[in-house]
Amino acid sequence: MGAAANAQPIFDAHMHYSHDAWDVVPVQDVLAILKKAGVRRALISSSGDDGQQRLFQAAPDVIIPELRPYRSRSDVGTWFRDESVIPYLQERLSKFRYAGIGEFHLYGENADLPVPRRMVELARKHGLFLHAHSDIDAVERLFRQWPQARILWAHAGFERPEKVAEMLKKHRNLWADLAFRTDHGSGGKVDPAWRATFMAFPDRFMVGTDTYTPERWHYVGEHAAWSRQWLSDLPKDVAERIAWKNGEQVFGSLLRPE
Amino acid sequence: MDGTRVESSKYVLAYKSAPEVGKFFAIDVAACAKSGPPPKVLQIDAHMPEHRHGMNYRPEVKLLAPGRWRAEGLMFHMPGKWEFVFVVDGERLASGMVLSFFSDQEVQRILSHGPWPPKPRRDPSNRVSGKLEAVVLGERLFFDPRLSGTSSVLCATCHVPFRGFQDGRAKGFGLELVDRNTPTLFDVGQYRWFGWDGAHDSLWSQSIRPLLDPREMKSSAREVGVFIRKYYLSGYERAFGRPPPGDDEELLADVGKALAAFQETLVSSRTPFDDFRDSLEQQMPSAYPENARRGLKIFIGKGNCSVCHFGPQFTNGEFADIGVPFFSAPGKVDAGRHDGIKKLKSDSYNLLGRYNDDASRSTATGTRHVEPQHRNFGEFRVPGLRNVARTAPYMHNGSLATLTDVVKHYSEINEDRLHSDGERILKKLFLNEQETEDLVAFLVSLSEKDTAGRK
Repeated sequence: MGAAANAQPIFDAHMHYSHDAWDVVPVQDVLAILKKAGVRRALISSSGDDGQQRLFQAAPDVIIPELRPYRSRSDVGTWFRDESVIPYLQERLSKFRYAGIGEFHLYGENADLPVPRRMVELARKHGLFLHAHSDIDAVERLFRQWPQARILWAHAGFERPEKVAEMLKKHRNLWADLAFRTDHGSGGKVDPAWRATFMAFPDRFMVGTDTYTPERWHYVGEHAAWSRQWLSDLPKDVAERIAWKNGEQVFGSLLRPE
Repeated sequence: MDGTRVESSKYVLAYKSAPEVGKFFAIDVAACAKSGPPPKVLQIDAHMPEHRHGMNYRPEVKLLAPGRWRAEGLMFHMPGKWEFVFVVDGERLASGMVLSFFSDQEVQRILSHGPWPPKPRRDPSNRVSGKLEAVVLGERLFFDPRLSGTSSVLCATCHVPFRGFQDGRAKGFGLELVDRNTPTLFDVGQYRWFGWDGAHDSLWSQSIRPLLDPREMKSSAREVGVFIRKYYLSGYERAFGRPPPGDDEELLADVGKALAAFQETLVSSRTPFDDFRDSLEQQMPSAYPENARRGLKIFIGKGNCSVCHFGPQFTNGEFADIGVPFFSAPGKVDAGRHDGIKKLKSDSYNLLGRYNDDASRSTATGTRHVEPQHRNFGEFRVPGLRNVARTAPYMHNGSLATLTDVVKHYSEINEDRLHSDGERILKKLFLNEQETEDLVAFLVSLSEKDTAGRK
């Protein structure tokens, strides 16, 4: 890994700062971790939205908030049937600025339930991204509800690269984050099938650490280094796009400090 | 009608049912008279002749067609010999059956946890594995404080024989407090990876680690070399068939191999579970307690415990994140398997290195192919469960004091801490008090019979 790769900035498109992290990894520690890791900007959602608002207030030039439909992470498996989620989203949207709604977990036909439909309507009304931890079926249903939706597909659905490529080809407004998967860059080498997908869609991928427990904030630096390592196995311009330019281009202008 | 036939002087009856212990079931019955019109009235009951009691529920019998009935609401609430009693137009017919507590599939799972003990196996990476003279040398070294840099602690300081070869503490303490719980050495010769993080791929390389750790035994290859040459010259020569080498690191590897040869002999004894498992295989009766049987059913069933704790050692030998927090101090995490793989790869004593006595390097396949993955961050070794009642406290950091605490951890697991990718093995079990006690009773039955373990 060369010096240039070491200096590669990172746009981390998949972070959480949920309620159980606020005391053990305080705001200033989070910002120090990001700085040390070379994370230029971070797309952050939180279960319990207050945490990320504190981050945003402390560093609006670094933090890009998303609104998660979870008041605590235990909402993960129930939110899509919980009518009280909608007024919660409405209240937060009336008070704060966001680049997207998500990351939410939504699979198959649940995407067409009334609560997710209302959430999509809110995203449309406010011009927000959807950050979907979903299978292909749910992503397709979201696009049917709102054909102009812009969706960041979390973990690219844990699908094989060929499937991810099919979806990216089909939907121009679909981007993919690579959080919590190792298969594309294990051992610092890019898998051939993934390489073909990255080369075909160099402007549609982003990296992400997925800090789903407080401890994982201490993995941000490790993850950034790991990302730089496998990215250095790609052509420089493609590596730069995936490392940070795509995130900056897609999200960077959405929420500049007022 | 197909099914089980039973007849009296006047009637022929056939019935079909598939009862399972503790579950409501239905029974379909057809009856005809040997001469004359079909019978009109059927009553059904069931009882356990040896226990002299019946069911707790009264079935409802419905006439479907002349001579055909269906009864619902039956339940056999315990395993054993049951007898259906049919009263056909006033005439009694009886048919017995033995209801096993475990289904055929469950029996197969139970059998997979044995037999025990396993056949002794030698470690090809250790040329003195199984050699008596090396076992003797290793045992003497294990109990010799002069092996430490301070001559004040010995392997048995933390791996205390009468405490199940661990120390009963939440976190180990050699010369200083360390971050992790001291694991037992029982059955350690069967492992694939060593240490909570699997930073070592052989028992002999793992045995070197605490010698060099300044918090544990604070020694060095140089100091160990001087010690062996001074005090164990003949013992070394008997074990290795040559004088100690001049290379201190090579000699340190041999010390690890002698210690490993001794530890390979620490095989746990048979347990009440093993007796039950073998009786099940031989279809013989067993005095295995009812509560342990119920706990075993949870362990291999809705608890999903045997998904990771499988086989005769009750472990898959790999690593998992089970939702235990892994901050080791404020602002500091124990990254577990993720760091373990990195340490393994850089360890000069790993099986890819020059101290592996297996020239084919077939023993090094795992080391060659393992790569860190994001999920490894905060994963720790899935421990075997033999003698588990003797090895409290539990988890990588000793944060759970008793087996009841462990069962409650899983039963009430904080799913927020688990990544939502893929199949969920770990889910809240919502075990009631009785089920919790049953699962603990089963776990205690995995310990040697003379165990006075903590529940």
